[in-house]
Amino acid sequence: MDISLILSNLLNPPILFFFLGLLAVLLHSDLEIPQPLPKFLSLYLLLAIGFKGGVELNQSGIDRSVLVTIGLAMLMASVVPLYSFFILRLKLAASDAAAIAATYGSISAVTFITATAFLQDLNIPYSGYMVAAMALMESPAIIIGVLLYRLSGNSNRGELSWSELLRDAFFNGSVLLLLGSLLVGVLTGEAGKKELQPFTHGLFKGLLAFFLLDMGLVAARRLRDLRKAGVFLVSFAILMPLLNAALGMGLAYLVDMPRGDALLFIVLCASASYIAVPAAVRLAIPEANPSLYVPMALAITFPFNIIVGLPLYLYGIDTLWRLSHATS
Amino acid sequence: MQPVKRIEVIIDSPHLDSVLKAIEQAGISGYTVIRDVIGTGDRGPRSGDELTDVFKNCYVMTACPEDNLSQLVTAIRPLLKRFGGVCLVSDAQWIIH
Repeated sequence: MDISLILSNLLNPPILFFFLGLLAVLLHSDLEIPQPLPKFLSLYLLLAIGFKGGVELNQSGIDRSVLVTIGLAMLMASVVPLYSFFILRLKLAASDAAAIAATYGSISAVTFITATAFLQDLNIPYSGYMVAAMALMESPAIIIGVLLYRLSGNSNRGELSWSELLRDAFFNGSVLLLLGSLLVGVLTGEAGKKELQPFTHGLFKGLLAFFLLDMGLVAARRLRDLRKAGVFLVSFAILMPLLNAALGMGLAYLVDMPRGDALLFIVLCASASYIAVPAAVRLAIPEANPSLYVPMALAITFPFNIIVGLPLYLYGIDTLWRLSHATS
Repeated sequence: MQPVKRIEVIIDSPHLDSVLKAIEQAGISGYTVIRDVIGTGDRGPRSGDELTDVFKNCYVMTACPEDNLSQLVTAIRPLLKRFGGVCLVSDAQWIIH
């Protein structure tokens, strides 16, 4: 693998700020981001990425490749929790297996946003509609995870409000803000982009770096919980993203996705949710232990994807795509 | 002063609405909510440093005449049993009502 690819990722300010956050906790520093700020930063990032995607969609329009990519994204979001659940059931109770399966079937918007920054640094273009694919991948895994749990014959299930669950899965804050911002971007196009340019583009990388500093702090604090997880779940948190990424890469290759879109699609397949899914799962599967599914996604899979995954997946794409062009 | 029962509930933030619904159904018209409270209990530390509400607690305080208490406790008990949390009931004096 090209060492410059790894270095360009590692020496990216947002990634270095993530390390700084990790380091602060390991050194027992009192560095802390006041509580409302991380929430604001996450909302800003969703708004900015949604709006940028909408503007690009306004320029590119909707064609067959858009529908194919979104269809594949929904397919992966539905299939990943299914096989994850049956693998996890080898060692875990149905509640924990369903919660973790939903976590890995859904996506991490922050991983996606970090991947877009990585692509921008390398001047690799990507399509705006990938944001729509991301928003649509958040929800199916939640529904499938809860269904798997309900069908697993567990006795302690209690009552479930499906209307509440569906509302939480499809209209939770992050999905609504992403799709809403995408729509604003589509409707306003280039004129809207010019008006919001300093906010949605100029500040983007700085605020991403600030947000990743907080993610580093939170991830390091959650590392302690991993002692409860054990070798099986720690291995799962690394191997499952690799398996999902390999499947995503195969699908992207089959439909001949451009490099940038392929990387984002693979990152979506490989990432795990630690915002939307835990909130929904806590309501629908309260028996599941959040000290397992949150740290796995946040303290292992997220850092793995942004530090190792991004250059690795891009290397895989370049190798596979080059081979296909050499043989054709 | 009027003798009342003071009810304090600490519960996961995602389940706050269920507690408030139980309070309203018990005919109690007022309550106070403090969000993002932190501490440690049977389920380990609740650090409140997540983007999701999963590791955050809420504190709810209300007061009612003794007559309303059993209805409220009956409604809250299953929530605590399923989701975890704390509910404390104590005697109090209401200065102005």
